[in-house]
Amino acid sequence: MYKTIKIEDVVRVPPHRFGEPLKEVIEDILRHGYEYKGGVVGGYEGLLDRDLGVILAVTDVESIEEGRIIPNDGASYHKTVFNAIVFKPELHEVLDCEVVDVVEFGAFVRFGPIDGLVHVSQIADDYISYDEKRAALIGKTTNKVLEVGDRVRARIVAMSASPEGQREGKINLTMRQANLGKFEWIAEEKKKKEEKAPKEKKGEKKEKEVKDEA
Amino acid sequence: MKLTRFEKAKIVGARALQISMGAPILIKVPDDIIDPIDIAIKELEAGVVPITVRRKPPKKREEIPMDRGKSK
Amino acid sequence: MKALTEKEVEKMLMEHADSLPDVILEDLKREALAAGLTAKELETVLGDVLKRTEYAQVEPGEAVGVVAAQSLGEPGTQMTMRTFHYAGAAEMNVTLGLPRIMEIVDARKQPSTPMMTIYLEEDIREDREKAKEIGNMISAISLSDIVEKTETNLLDSSITFRLDTKLMKSRGIKIEDVITRLNKSKIEVPDYSESRIVLKSKTQELRELRKLATKVLGTHLAGIKGIERALVKREKGEYVIFTEGSNLKEVFKIKGVDKRRTKCNDILEIEKVLGIEAARRAIIMEILDTLNEQGLRVDVRHIMLIASAMTVSGTVRSIGRHGISGDKASVLDRAAFEITVDNLLMAGVKGEYEELDGVVKNVIVGQPVRLGTGVVELTMKMDKPKEAAK
Repeated sequence: MYKTIKIEDVVRVPPHRFGEPLKEVIEDILRHGYEYKGGVVGGYEGLLDRDLGVILAVTDVESIEEGRIIPNDGASYHKTVFNAIVFKPELHEVLDCEVVDVVEFGAFVRFGPIDGLVHVSQIADDYISYDEKRAALIGKTTNKVLEVGDRVRARIVAMSASPEGQREGKINLTMRQANLGKFEWIAEEKKKKEEKAPKEKKGEKKEKEVKDEA
Repeated sequence: MKLTRFEKAKIVGARALQISMGAPILIKVPDDIIDPIDIAIKELEAGVVPITVRRKPPKKREEIPMDRGKSK
Repeated sequence: MKALTEKEVEKMLMEHADSLPDVILEDLKREALAAGLTAKELETVLGDVLKRTEYAQVEPGEAVGVVAAQSLGEPGTQMTMRTFHYAGAAEMNVTLGLPRIMEIVDARKQPSTPMMTIYLEEDIREDREKAKEIGNMISAISLSDIVEKTETNLLDSSITFRLDTKLMKSRGIKIEDVITRLNKSKIEVPDYSESRIVLKSKTQELRELRKLATKVLGTHLAGIKGIERALVKREKGEYVIFTEGSNLKEVFKIKGVDKRRTKCNDILEIEKVLGIEAARRAIIMEILDTLNEQGLRVDVRHIMLIASAMTVSGTVRSIGRHGISGDKASVLDRAAFEITVDNLLMAGVKGEYEELDGVVKNVIVGQPVRLGTGVVELTMKMDKPKEAAK
């Protein structure tokens, strides 16, 4: 789920940037961090937080307090409130994704900044086999084909916490539920259902729910 | 208000550290002055140091609720 | 140039009401009017006073406690370690020098040489006879003081006290008073005359007789308990009574005693009778007098700080582990002082809080101490560089 959140943090503005406009400096530091002992420290964009999810962008800085000077450091420390956009995958969330890789044991799909895996067993109600030459997964009876670049709708069924330092944990998704799968398959299914029982409300309702959630 | 000697020392110290870490200097300094402490003192004398002293009132007033006087 | 009127002086002084203490403003006003200063003269005086006041001020952040400790500690090394005999008409034994300072600072229950200086009220100040009379009234007399000789007779198990009639006369004690006093303490006196008292005992044992004798001899006859000796001396045109031993409460009950000026060197007694503020003043006065007596000059403000530290809590507490340092509320202070582990453990069990507002605590934690440059908090004015850049 995408969210905008408000974050409060103390930003260290190093002395060599004192001449620049404060707001720009702080925005820059919040986005990209600052150099420290040869590396770059801080920087919110792209940061993965266990509770917040992935921070995608710092949109705007809301308020900057007066900078405090701390002993043994020439920098000034500003308490800052800023807004950011985050993405956090939730269990059972239905997502529209793009297939980025197809391998023998399933398809890797990308949603927002994160990749997840749809295991072969979770692609469709069919016997799925892997076509090495095409790098595609093919259903035996339905002839459903899943290739790189396909747009699919899937639901998260399992998440494992990421070890520290890794960008994301492992996320497993499924497409073996009603109204999930490649967009073309969903459209087909819908058509079939309408032909069979045009006034069946149950299916419609369910579909609506799913769409809302997505 | 006058600065106390502690405040002066702290300001000069902090400012000199900033200058040594690359902060822009706010006054014209002759070429022969290169010591950040000397520059900081000159800035303080010129009144352009971009630092403010935060003086705190000595101690917060403590309010003791009346139930403290209640006998147990 | 004309001398200033009262209103004009006030107006000039009020301009500096913020920078000068009230006492100094009052003094200035009085003196300026008395001297009849002109506007220009007062301005010069004011300028000088302001400069000196500013010079005398302590800067925020100064470690006043440490400075006070040093200021009193150094002259302490110069002081006598012995108690001296008071130089005067009749010598009185008075504790002086370092032992006296220690006594004050330790807030001892009783000074080793308690004494009082009793001043008299205005109308009888210069009356020698009246002063002597009061002096006699105050000094405590027990039976032993007027007994010349004690005779114990084992045959009829009686004790005979031979009395010093001369002394009794000078002290104004009548034999009847003595008898009533003895009766009050439940001692039967079967026989007495002007110059002797005979007591009878039921037992025949010598030991019992002796016991009775000492008991009877201790009977308080007249004067105020606790005051052993009173001396009348002329000082600065008036008669003053010096006493050995002290009892403020009872002395204050005597008519003719000037309660405003009468002094006592027992600080805890002053606290009990006059209250904590009086005790604070007494501590200041006593320390100052002791130092001055030794020819040492210490700024009052150091002593005032010590006195204030001893009395802030509302009772007089000693400086040291049993007083102001001992029952510190802070966890780390206590841990730093004694039995570190136990103190920390108990603090943890009780869930105590540490404010980190002291020197020792911040040193323990590894933070800058909030003292001197450590109290200064700085913030950056960020707009300034932009302006300057333009």
